[in-house]
Amino acid sequence: MDKLLVSPSPHLHAKTSTTSLMRDVVIAMLPAVVVSVLFYGWSELLIFGVSVASCVLLEYLITKYLLKRPCTVGDWSAAVTGVLLALNLPATTPWWVVLIGAIVAIGVAKMTFGGIGQNLFNPAIAGRVFLLISFPTYMTDWTRPQGFIGNGLDAMTGATPLGMVKEGGISAVADLDYLDMLFHNIGGSAGELSALAILAGFVYLLVRRVIKPYITLSILATVAIFSGIFWAVNPAEYTGPLFNLLTGGILLGSVFMATDYVTSPMSNLGGVIFGVGIGVLTMLIRYFGAYPEGVSFAILIMNSMVPLINKWCHSRKYGRA
Amino acid sequence: MMKTFSIGGIHPADSKISKDCRIEVLPLPSKVFISMAQHLGAPAVPVVKAGDKVKAGQVIAEPAGFISAYVHSSVSGTVKSVGPRKDIAGNNMVHVEIDVEGDEWADGIDLSDKLVTEIPEDVKAILEKIKLNGVVGLGGATFPAHVKLCPPPGKKAECLILNGAECEPYLTSDYRIMLERSREIVVGAAIMKHVLGGCRTVIGIEENKPEAIRVMSEAVAELQKSAKGYEGISVMSLKKKYPQGGEKQLIDAVMGRQVKSMGLPIDVGAVVQNVATSLAVYEAVQKNMPLVTNVLTVTGDCLPADRQHNYKFRIGMPLSYVAEYAGGVPEQAAKIISGGPMMGKAIANPDAATVKGSSSLLYLTAAQTVRQAESACIRCGKCADACPMGLEPFLLNKYARNGMMDELEENAVQDCIECGCCLYSCPANIPLLDIIRIAKGDVIRIIRGRAAQKK
Ligand code: SF4
Ligand code: SF4
Repeated sequence: MDKLLVSPSPHLHAKTSTTSLMRDVVIAMLPAVVVSVLFYGWSELLIFGVSVASCVLLEYLITKYLLKRPCTVGDWSAAVTGVLLALNLPATTPWWVVLIGAIVAIGVAKMTFGGIGQNLFNPAIAGRVFLLISFPTYMTDWTRPQGFIGNGLDAMTGATPLGMVKEGGISAVADLDYLDMLFHNIGGSAGELSALAILAGFVYLLVRRVIKPYITLSILATVAIFSGIFWAVNPAEYTGPLFNLLTGGILLGSVFMATDYVTSPMSNLGGVIFGVGIGVLTMLIRYFGAYPEGVSFAILIMNSMVPLINKWCHSRKYGRA
Repeated sequence: MMKTFSIGGIHPADSKISKDCRIEVLPLPSKVFISMAQHLGAPAVPVVKAGDKVKAGQVIAEPAGFISAYVHSSVSGTVKSVGPRKDIAGNNMVHVEIDVEGDEWADGIDLSDKLVTEIPEDVKAILEKIKLNGVVGLGGATFPAHVKLCPPPGKKAECLILNGAECEPYLTSDYRIMLERSREIVVGAAIMKHVLGGCRTVIGIEENKPEAIRVMSEAVAELQKSAKGYEGISVMSLKKKYPQGGEKQLIDAVMGRQVKSMGLPIDVGAVVQNVATSLAVYEAVQKNMPLVTNVLTVTGDCLPADRQHNYKFRIGMPLSYVAEYAGGVPEQAAKIISGGPMMGKAIANPDAATVKGSSSLLYLTAAQTVRQAESACIRCGKCADACPMGLEPFLLNKYARNGMMDELEENAVQDCIECGCCLYSCPANIPLLDIIRIAKGDVIRIIRGRAAQKK
């Protein structure tokens, strides 16, 4: 001991860091990744590879050469965006489309706003929505390539359950097996495959105290209640709660995308408002919009409301009730 | 359900490594240096000069105002000098340097360890004794005890809360006195209760100290059976959560009331005193013993089990003397803390003297305590979740860095209790409290200036 350290209190720090939190998010997404690779095979693996590698590389290059400031890829946040983007794409997406998605996600949605902590929109969703608008054919081709298990091409080839409803009305999905959907076999982007895999990730995030449950639960509850009411009134026209909770990106979105720290409200009350907003918007788009799926749009729209929500919702202060 | 405060809080490992180490009495050094600033408020004024002979327990300095306190010699001997010496932060403060000769105590002090349970009737006389014996709060703020025990006109104490939470990690001195001096503490509580007009008295102890809860409960029961004036005293176990021992948090936990911003506990009918203060009150009132000793913990993960200690020290012993006696500063120690790791002060000058409120020599290693580089706020909200005052540190940080004083005040930066929960929790290692502390000082100055102008 040569020289005593002197600094103000506190003198201890929790073990959580930005890096450990982001790593936990990646770990939480692994079950969904594994399931999608198992069912979609090599092409899916390639998408994950391209997406993660380009997100990380882009952030590295931009911080190092364009912004000339300390490189932030070590905090794993670019990797989170990479995995999330890949989970949002169909298994048939060509590699160069994935790359464009990554450029929009990291280059536009994240870094032009100032990097981690500054972005208004969730980078992965921004990437996905950009691709959805620019390359609709690639983004809605849900043909399922042969995976390592299961048979890729089956009766539902070419359309997601939500797409089928848009096209052929509710009778088109009359014989869907919900048990199947819980485990795998929901048509859709990689991450929409298995509800259970995503829920496992949700539980992990809660247990590790990475996120709080308010946002996710308020989205799911809103979707359930909203669709429940419509379904109760007219079951011939509208899909029911279970269908709406298990199809499309609602689970993926509510667990991994809406809970993004940077682009969601700070307070618990704000989180609930945000979640209800996403739930309502999603259902409005699903029932009445032009697109079969609305989660991504709903989250993006609510992302833009976050500054406003934060302005109105503050935490409860001691002695100021 | 176990009681606790209702907003925020964190759960650091409690690390009470030294909890089973009995209190040992430190031998007398050859010299002590007694600081004039051992309490909140104006430093005391020395009334001795070089060459004077003093006895242990004799007044050597008098209060310099209403919020100030008497200071006594902790040893017998000859005053060597009265002058500036560096305190733990390295700042100059007047100290009385005394060469120790023998161990002779001033007249009128009862040195026996016979328990005196009878509570004197005369409230004025009790308060006078507490004041004359230099008793200050030993829970951290060292606020003169008699001042807190005299509610301003129109305010009435409804509950006396004895703080035995000891929610800071590592510290075990309160725990040890609760085990070893339980009955004295309860007598002290009964005395304060009597002074306050016989209000309800609750001794709050965190659940991670079941032994202390048991021993203190037994002491209360025993005294209630054998003596008068002990009714209405009870022990309450509190959840282990930091900062359970924060004054405002304790009031919330025990009484379910919250002190208003910039208000005082007495506004909601609460008076909070630490268990160590209660012991000092007992000594002062029942034994006429001034506050010249206290107990401190020597601990740290880098100390082997046999070098963990709880010591009874005489005020004015240099910290370096305590450290040497305990086997020296460990090799791996990068920082030494006086007080707990959450709110204590890093010692810049290990040669500084102990004061009334000294509670520990805590050795932390570099791995434990070196701050990591700051990165961007990821808006995770963990700081706000942790803040026991319900503040939003991420927001205060932003406003403070931009000098936005009005916004800081609107968002209650002045309510910050400097508990450190925010900085502890921030994954981006943003020095939140460092920045908030400065902003809080500025805003309080503005508020005071405004109030002064109004008058
Ligand atoms: S130090 Fe202040 S701002 Fe930080 S958690 Fe404690 S009270 Fe809140
Ligand atoms: S804990 Fe740190 S990173 Fe999280 S919101 Fe607060 S200041 Fe930002």
